[in-house]
Amino acid sequence: MKIIILGAGQVGSNLAEHLVREGNDLTVVDVDEEKLSALQDRFDLRTVRGPASHPSILRQAGAEDADMLVAVTLNDETNIVACKLAGTLYNIPTKIARIRSTDYMNHPDLFGPDNFSVDHVIAPEQEITDYLRKLIDYPEALQVVDFGAGRARLVAMRARAGGPLVGHELRDLRKHLPKLDARVAAIFRRDRTIVPEGRTVIQDGDEIFFIAATENIRAVMKEMRRSDRSVRRVMIAGGGNIGQRLARSLELDYEVKLIDHNKKSTERLAQMLKHTLVLTGDCTDEDLMVQENIEDMDVFCALTNDEENNIMSSLLAKRLGARKVIALINRASYVDLLQGGEIDIALSPAQATIGPLLTHIRRGDMAVVHSLRRGAAEALEAVVHGDARSSKLINRSIEEISLPEGVSIGAILRGNDVIIAHHDTVIEPEDHLVLFVPNKRLIPKVEKLFQVGLGFF
Amino acid sequence: MNLISTLLKPENILVEFDAGSKKRVFEKAGQLFEESLGIAAGHVFESLFSREKLGSTALGYGIAIPHGRIKELKDTACAFIRLPEPIDFDAPDNLPVDLIFILLAPSAATDLHLQILGELAQMFSEKEMRDKLRKAADSQELHRLICQWTP
Repeated sequence: MKIIILGAGQVGSNLAEHLVREGNDLTVVDVDEEKLSALQDRFDLRTVRGPASHPSILRQAGAEDADMLVAVTLNDETNIVACKLAGTLYNIPTKIARIRSTDYMNHPDLFGPDNFSVDHVIAPEQEITDYLRKLIDYPEALQVVDFGAGRARLVAMRARAGGPLVGHELRDLRKHLPKLDARVAAIFRRDRTIVPEGRTVIQDGDEIFFIAATENIRAVMKEMRRSDRSVRRVMIAGGGNIGQRLARSLELDYEVKLIDHNKKSTERLAQMLKHTLVLTGDCTDEDLMVQENIEDMDVFCALTNDEENNIMSSLLAKRLGARKVIALINRASYVDLLQGGEIDIALSPAQATIGPLLTHIRRGDMAVVHSLRRGAAEALEAVVHGDARSSKLINRSIEEISLPEGVSIGAILRGNDVIIAHHDTVIEPEDHLVLFVPNKRLIPKVEKLFQVGLGFF
Repeated sequence: MNLISTLLKPENILVEFDAGSKKRVFEKAGQLFEESLGIAAGHVFESLFSREKLGSTALGYGIAIPHGRIKELKDTACAFIRLPEPIDFDAPDNLPVDLIFILLAPSAATDLHLQILGELAQMFSEKEMRDKLRKAADSQELHRLICQWTP
C-alpha cells in the first residue's frame, strides 16, 4: 500500500518503522529536517519537508496516488485540515487523524465525511490511560488488552511459585476451574516461545498469555500466582494530559494522590479532580515522598513529560516501599533495559498507540490490534468474511486450519458470545477470531489467512 | 461467443492509461461507469477499494480483476484497462499488474457475475491470450480479441 504519514515524532516514527517492515510504500512529512533524515538513515522510505496540511506538500508526498493518510502531528488542527484536504482535493480513501483535545472528541459528528472527513480518530493519551487503568485494576498483570468491546480479554503475566497451577500441567486448569473456560495462547520461558499443549508444565517465571471471557480473568490469574492484595492507594507523578486523565478515571474507585511541580497546574487540577488529593512538589524529592506515605502506595505511576525524571522517581518510589511502580518512558531502548527490573512496568507511549493505528491500516477487516511484549508480538481480532468457497476459514474446525507456527486462535466472538477455541470448534461467517501472534514477522501470513478468494463479491 | 463480450462495451476499454497507482485506476473506473451508466463515480471507487482491502483481486501474471457490488446497478457491468506501466496490486506472485478487468455486479445477486469471473480467469490463464492483449494496437483490436476468444 501507498501510505503517507504526517509527523515524524515518536508516534509517526514508530508507525513508519512498522509499516516499512510490512512492505508498504511510505512517505513521511514533517517540518523538521533532522527528524526526517534520521528516519531516512534507518528505513527505506521517502520524505517531504514542509507544513503537513498544505495542499502542495500533500501533493509532493504523493497524495494523488496514496491509499491512506495517517496524520499524527502534535497539532490537532494540522491533522484535521490535512484529512479534510486529503478527502476534498485528493480523494484518499482512508484518512486517520491523531486528536489530543477531548473537546473535539466530545463531538464525534465533526469527523464525518461532510465535516472533517476523518475516517478514524486516534487518541494516544486516551489509549495510554486505558492501558494504565487496566494495570491498576489487575496489579499482577504485565498487560491486559480487550477484545469484542471488552467482552474478552488477553492477559500477560508472570507465573510465580505458589500459584495453584504452577508446577502442574496446563490441562489441570480444567480440574481446578471446572466451571469456566480459558485458553493459554503462548508461554515465553527465558525468552523462548513454548507452544502450549495440555501436557506443558507451567514453571515459576514463565511469561504467560491467556485469553478468557472478561468475567473469568481474575479466577485464571489466581491460578498462576498467589494474588497480591488488591490495589487501594495510587500515587501519580505528573499532572499533564495523561496524569490528569488517569486520575479522573481512577478517583472514584481508588484513593488517588497526584503530584505536579507546577503550582498553577495543581490549582487547576484541584478544581477539576474533586476526589483526588492534588499536591505541589517534586516527585524525586525523597522527603516529600516519605511525608506523603509512599510506603503505603499500592501503585506509583511516573507520568511526567521528562523520562529521566520518571525513571528516577519510580526507582525512588520502589526503594521507599511502593509496591508496584510504572514509568512512562519514550525511548524504546530504555524500556527494554528497565522493564522487569526495579521498575515493574516500563511503558512507551508509542507502543501503546501502535495497535490502534495498525487496526485501521492492516489488510483484511481488523477489529482490534494490540502490540504485546514491547512490540515483538501481537494479538488481534479479525473478522471472517466470505463463505466456505471464498474463505480459508469458514466451515473449518480449528484443527483443520493451517496456522503459521506459534500462532494460535484463542477465542471466537460470535454475536454476543465468547467461545474459547478448541480443536473441534468450527468457524462461521462473520465470526471475530482472537489470535495470538508470537512474532510480528508472521503477520503477513496471518493476513493472507483472512483474505477472501477472488470469487467473493 | 463468450459472456464477456456481451457485456464489454468498446467505450469501456482503455489502452495507454498512465495510472501510476491502484487508486487512480479505481478513480478512472468510477469516471468510466459514471459516463456510460450514470452511476456515481464515488460509489464505484468505494466499492472497489473496500473489496480490495479484504483480499487482493490480482491473479498473478500481471492480471487483476477488481470487482464489487453496486446498489443502483441493474445489470452486471465491466471495463478493461491496459496500463503502459504496470502498478503494484498485492499480487500473489508479487508481480506488478498491467491488465485490469473491472467487474461490477448489482446487489440483487444472480450468478452471472460469477460465471463471467470464471470465464475471465480462464481467458487470462492462457499465456497466448495475455501476450495478444498486451500487443494489441488499440482498443478496437482489444475488443475484437476478447469477442473472438472462446472458452
